[in-house]
Amino acid sequence: MNQSSRPFYWMALSLIGVVIAAYILFPIFWLVLASFKTTGELASLPLTFWPQAPTIEAYTALFDETSQSSQLLNWPTLISNSFIVAVSSTILVVFFGTLAGYAFSRLHFPGRDLILGGLLISRMFQGAALLLPTYRLMNSLNLQDSLLGLILLYSAFGLPFATWIIASSLREIPFELEESAMMDGASRLQSMVRIVLPLATPALITAAMWHFVGAWSEFAFASILMESSDNKTVTIGLASFVELFTIEFNRVGAAATLVAMPIMVVFFFGQRYFTRGLLAGAVKG
Amino acid sequence: MGSVALRDIRKSYGAVEVLHGIDLDVADGEFVVLVGPSGCGKSTLLRSLAGLETISGGEISIDGSSIVHLHPKSRDIAMVFQNYALYPHMNVAKNMGFPLQMAKVSKSEIDEKVAKAAEILSLTQMLKRYPKQLSGGQRQRVAMGRAIVRDPKVFLFDEPLSNLDAALRVQMRTEIKGLHQRLGTTIVYVTHDQIEAMTMADKIVVMKDGHVEQIGAPLDLYDRPANRFVAGFIGSPAMNFMPAKVENGQAVLENGAVLAPAPEGLTEGQAFTAGVRPEHLMVADQGASANVTVVEPTGAELQFVVDLAGTPTLVSTRDRLHLRLGDTLHLEVEAGRLHAFDSETGVRLG
Ligand SMILES: Nc1ncnc2c1ncn2[C@@H]1O[C@H](COP(=O)(O)OP(=O)(O)OP(=O)(O)O)[C@@H](O)[C@H]1O
Ligand SMILES: [Mg+2]
Repeated sequence: MNQSSRPFYWMALSLIGVVIAAYILFPIFWLVLASFKTTGELASLPLTFWPQAPTIEAYTALFDETSQSSQLLNWPTLISNSFIVAVSSTILVVFFGTLAGYAFSRLHFPGRDLILGGLLISRMFQGAALLLPTYRLMNSLNLQDSLLGLILLYSAFGLPFATWIIASSLREIPFELEESAMMDGASRLQSMVRIVLPLATPALITAAMWHFVGAWSEFAFASILMESSDNKTVTIGLASFVELFTIEFNRVGAAATLVAMPIMVVFFFGQRYFTRGLLAGAVKG
Repeated sequence: MGSVALRDIRKSYGAVEVLHGIDLDVADGEFVVLVGPSGCGKSTLLRSLAGLETISGGEISIDGSSIVHLHPKSRDIAMVFQNYALYPHMNVAKNMGFPLQMAKVSKSEIDEKVAKAAEILSLTQMLKRYPKQLSGGQRQRVAMGRAIVRDPKVFLFDEPLSNLDAALRVQMRTEIKGLHQRLGTTIVYVTHDQIEAMTMADKIVVMKDGHVEQIGAPLDLYDRPANRFVAGFIGSPAMNFMPAKVENGQAVLENGAVLAPAPEGLTEGQAFTAGVRPEHLMVADQGASANVTVVEPTGAELQFVVDLAGTPTLVSTRDRLHLRLGDTLHLEVEAGRLHAFDSETGVRLG
């Protein structure tokens, strides 16, 4: 690339980026705007883009005990269930992913690299193919329709990838630093906690973010496993909500915006970790 | 106190043995330098002493008690690594205080000891900086500071100066030597630079291929190298070697020229490898004749290569001789400075 063509190249690239982003984001943006409209405005023609009289009534309706929607779906319970499941499984995944990642990056055992590669392959088998076997398994363990069951399941699904990300980044931390710590009087565990983990924080945050977002937005397994309304998560709630309230689209918009909120917060604060941690892993493999 | 004894140390990686039974005694307060060519096992021996490598056989003790079974953290040994191994997420003060923190020393005492070490190493202004904000020489000092704060029994250094430029290396050499004189702690120091070894050591251990070739004071190694390898390794520029034989009590070269009186311990007619250091060859009115082939003035001294009975031989002198290529001159060996080695085994004969 020579100097003169560079500005044009970047402009073209940015333009393509903006177009793609607009294409993807437009429906989402429209949905968010819809959540601030009244039912009447949504039903009237011609369609408006910006809310004529912005209101949060769709949101208050979600949490209004007397309203029809909150009787059918208890949003505070849905939200707290999702939080419990996503946060607990994130803690488990990062904790065990760190221990396993440390082992994969520091200890020598037969088949180490093969197993580490296998961890990534295991991700390819997730999804629909696993629904039925998982349901059977959870049933026989008596863990269906239980938050604990869902926590364990998500942790099992999330652990391989987290381990892989963490192991890749730990490999870039020179072992000499730990040797030095041991000479300075640290035990193996101390050298891991005091030296390695602080240096691996970006990778730990990346792993935590990936897992949290995945667990928060998981739908398929939650929907087949969670039967009682006390145990449902936000994604199930949202799906039933769409069926129940197609007419009152402002409420669908409000619910969807609410569900997306934690993910947006995570991205907002952790964007640089999201790409950096992954790149670090990608380069080293 | 910190006297170290290594007995018959062996280390194998898989089927390959890289240390073949090393014996070494280090007295309390002694500065011992391990020197030898790359790959001879210096680092492996040092790391075995540190506990970072598990030895395959032998016995290591400090002050008479065995430490072989001890984890590195319990050996009371501090180590300065070649790449310094400073903790990137801690500032200089935290780096230096880390060993004390591990030893559960109180906060105020840590501050006090770190301040004192920083004072010794002229790091007081740097305490709040992070390693990446320091120059190579400053990092080196922080690494040393981290080693000295807790007053260990032994310091280990693995090629600590190899990442520094030549001028800084000379300066740090003096600083480390000064630090040793001040603290009086036992030091085992690895280098492949024989000048570092000669200038710093109380005692030098010359290693080759996992064996100890010779142990001795710097000048002992220089004056009486135990074999041809040590003779060639210690001293700069390196010793000249040439085939010779004893005739009428004289060391005679292949062309019949007489080099010097034969060293004691050789028998009449015996063939051997003669060794002479460049600085011990003198231009004289008589003696073996030689043709000048290369002249290299360095300022302080003059180095030139002559053809001595078919062997290119380096001579170094402080005299300002006016030499031209092709000049013929006569060379003599300073009295008692001719070394004799077995032509086959390289062992010193006299
Ligand atoms: N982890 C290992 N696995 C197998 N062989 C090793 C290992 N570490 C070192 N070696 C071998 O042991 C021998 C001694 O290595 P060592 O690092 O002690 O040499 P050294 O004298 O310190 O060399 P240098 O001056 O280059 O640092 C070398 O032949 C090296 O190849
Ligand atoms: Mg080495």
